Amino acid sequence: MLDATKLCEAMGELEEDEIIEILEGVMAEGGAQASEAMEACQKGMDEVGNRFETGEYFVGDLIYAGQLMTQAVEILKPALVSGESGSAAKEKVVLCTVEGDLHDIGKNIVKAMMEAAGFEIIDLGIDVKPRVIIDAVKESGAKIVALSGVLTLALDSMKKTVDVFKEAGLREQVKFIVGGAPVNKDSGPDTGADAWASNPQQTVQICRGWV
Amino acid sequence: MVVIGEKINGAIPSVAAAIEERDASLIGELVSAQEEAGADYLDVCAGTSPDKEYDALCWLIDVVQEHARKPVCIDSPDPEMLVRVFPKLEKPGLVNSISLEGNKCEILLPLLKDNPEWGVVALCCDNSGVANAWEEKTAHAFTLIEKAAEYGIAPERIHIDPLVLALSAVNDSALNFFEAVRRIKERYQKVNVTAALSNISFGMPARKLVNQNFLTLSMYAGLDSVIMNPLDRELMGAVYATDALMNKDKFCRKYNKAYRNGQIGAKK
Repeated sequence: MLDATKLCEAMGELEEDEIIEILEGVMAEGGAQASEAMEACQKGMDEVGNRFETGEYFVGDLIYAGQLMTQAVEILKPALVSGESGSAAKEKVVLCTVEGDLHDIGKNIVKAMMEAAGFEIIDLGIDVKPRVIIDAVKESGAKIVALSGVLTLALDSMKKTVDVFKEAGLREQVKFIVGGAPVNKDSGPDTGADAWASNPQQTVQICRGWV
Repeated sequence: MVVIGEKINGAIPSVAAAIEERDASLIGELVSAQEEAGADYLDVCAGTSPDKEYDALCWLIDVVQEHARKPVCIDSPDPEMLVRVFPKLEKPGLVNSISLEGNKCEILLPLLKDNPEWGVVALCCDNSGVANAWEEKTAHAFTLIEKAAEYGIAPERIHIDPLVLALSAVNDSALNFFEAVRRIKERYQKVNVTAALSNISFGMPARKLVNQNFLTLSMYAGLDSVIMNPLDRELMGAVYATDALMNKDKFCRKYNKAYRNGQIGAKK
């Protein structure tokens, strides 16, 4: 039998061996509790995010947590895909570092945390022109666009991206969230985005609120 | 070891506030403090939004030049901006920076050709970003040095930054950086290899520990200059001590002098 509390705590503590042991146990029993296990892992990830916000965990911990989550999904996948829980469509989010900015560490952490929270991330990479983002939104039907950047000039690119969506008549179809070093309570709203975040956990929470 | 002082940068909140309010006293203090601590160049970066950058940089340059004895390392992500503010700079210093990204080389190398006393910081990245593998870093470095040579710019005028990635995200980032430093120095003995120190410790606690040990190991690999906070006494101590350990300080006299001047070691 799955001990969901124990699994959730193990995820919060980033105890790799313990997590894998529990998950393999679930699979050995036929995988009937795979979706409960997945939920427990996601709850554990919320704890990781909280600890990052309070300063107990650091960037390395977040990235490691993302990898553990990927591992967990890999183990549970055979049972999840056949079961009901795997059939529900995931909410799609287009994510990238904006034009003129080449930084990707922050974006990748957000990607890992969002995926762990159950979103499907369409990652367009770095230095991405607004046109490419529009194409990705049209193609995927994503309703959330998350823009990342580290340089101050990223703020202009974020604003430009929102403006290009307006010009294309697509602004009302998507929610924009922006984040990264230059984004704060003043500069965030100036970009014209619907929301801004100062850490990955906030991004997850805001996007959850939009679904 | 050449120390480029990083404190006059709008990315630092107190400096951003001073720029916003045009508070010259804080900037003047940062100039003097960094020079006393042993900085050889003063990096000047506005870090404002692009529409405010020209005015902010012009003001910063005026304030810095009023107080400084050391030359400026003029710093902007926008090459056109560097060309615009360049005529204001009185003393030859460093242009920060070129890279293989966009048209940075095409805009800035002609400026450096016309101003032979100036040096340049060159970043090993291109339009696809920053590579972790030393092979790619080294290839970028050679391309940059060769491009500069086409404009008659000798390797000794270039400070190549192989660009270290954050250790918290990329576990072999320092090892790849050291290897890149060694390979670049092997091919071009006269080029300067530099590093913006604090990138290595992004997202980690007790960052000073990581920065300082990274600096020492990088110097052992062949680092010639560093962009860092000279007001960090322990870091400056590591610079002087490592130079002495590397036989770059005859009879440890620079180290001793820095101690006598109260720049390093326990505060007297």
